[in-house]
Amino acid sequence: MVSEKNHNVSRRQFLTYTLTGVGGFMAAGMILPMARFAIDPVLKAGAAGDMNAVAEVADLTEEPQRFDFSYEQQDAWYTSEVTETAWIYQEGDDIVALSPTCTHLGCTVNWDANEDHPNQFFCPCHGGRFEKDGTNIEGTPPTEPLHKYQVEVQDGTVYLGKAEPQI
Amino acid sequence: MKWTTEDIPFFINEREYIDTALIPLLPIDFGNGIRQSAAMSEFITVITAELERQFKGRVLLVPPFTYLDSENITVCRDNLEQWTNKMKEEMKHVILITADPSWKKVEADIEDLLVWMPLVPLENMESEYKRQVVSEQIKQLIPLIMDKWKSSP
Repeated sequence: MVSEKNHNVSRRQFLTYTLTGVGGFMAAGMILPMARFAIDPVLKAGAAGDMNAVAEVADLTEEPQRFDFSYEQQDAWYTSEVTETAWIYQEGDDIVALSPTCTHLGCTVNWDANEDHPNQFFCPCHGGRFEKDGTNIEGTPPTEPLHKYQVEVQDGTVYLGKAEPQI
Repeated sequence: MKWTTEDIPFFINEREYIDTALIPLLPIDFGNGIRQSAAMSEFITVITAELERQFKGRVLLVPPFTYLDSENITVCRDNLEQWTNKMKEEMKHVILITADPSWKKVEADIEDLLVWMPLVPLENMESEYKRQVVSEQIKQLIPLIMDKWKSSP
């Protein structure tokens, strides 16, 4: 027979355990929300940031292809849906996404659109031209290469971030 | 370029490059045709915004020329001519774009490029389909405008 005494919890012990437990819950209830608020910005930035799903890797070729994507943009009190375009191609393992905005005055350039200048980006407004990698061609109005999107690939989907200058 | 405080400074600085004014022509009707009038306004606004995006560096999208639907179209044409004459003091090309078929009647008397587009009822379409329809229309318009530039650069 096991002695009853071994199972006994003294009154003092019982109170200590209970108070520690309850106190612990209360402290957690106060500290956790604070901690959550404190690290909230970090969590948000981690959640894909401002990247937009644009294309599937399987659809990409070595030839630049046009992909449209849209997202909501908040400008003061006015929310609008913005449509953007990217010219995306694959070179080996690298995926390159170029902004179609001509660096001269902002027209939209097209790939291989001019018969006299095949395999170049062509701007219909003032005849600006760019190489496949976006480099502006000497003697045409643009003064810098096409901007490049930040590219991220997740599970076979291409996500694009902001377009940034190449130089 | 758009008619905004953000874009106009570029226009002022780059006048030699931005030589084309794009004017939407919109009829206003408060009677039975009010639906049609709103639909035209919506459609032409979408089309012109997309054209502006395509040709931002050469085209200035000006505020629309509006007129009462009941007004005689030849009177409208005369009023419009005042606009275009004024603009042509500064710009080389003027492009007019409308969904109102009445302009077809006076087209011969207009020396600028008049683009008439049959109204597409965008209001019942899903946004994906809407985008497709609009970009299809734009594709047809681009060569028209580029030809105009080529014919008198």
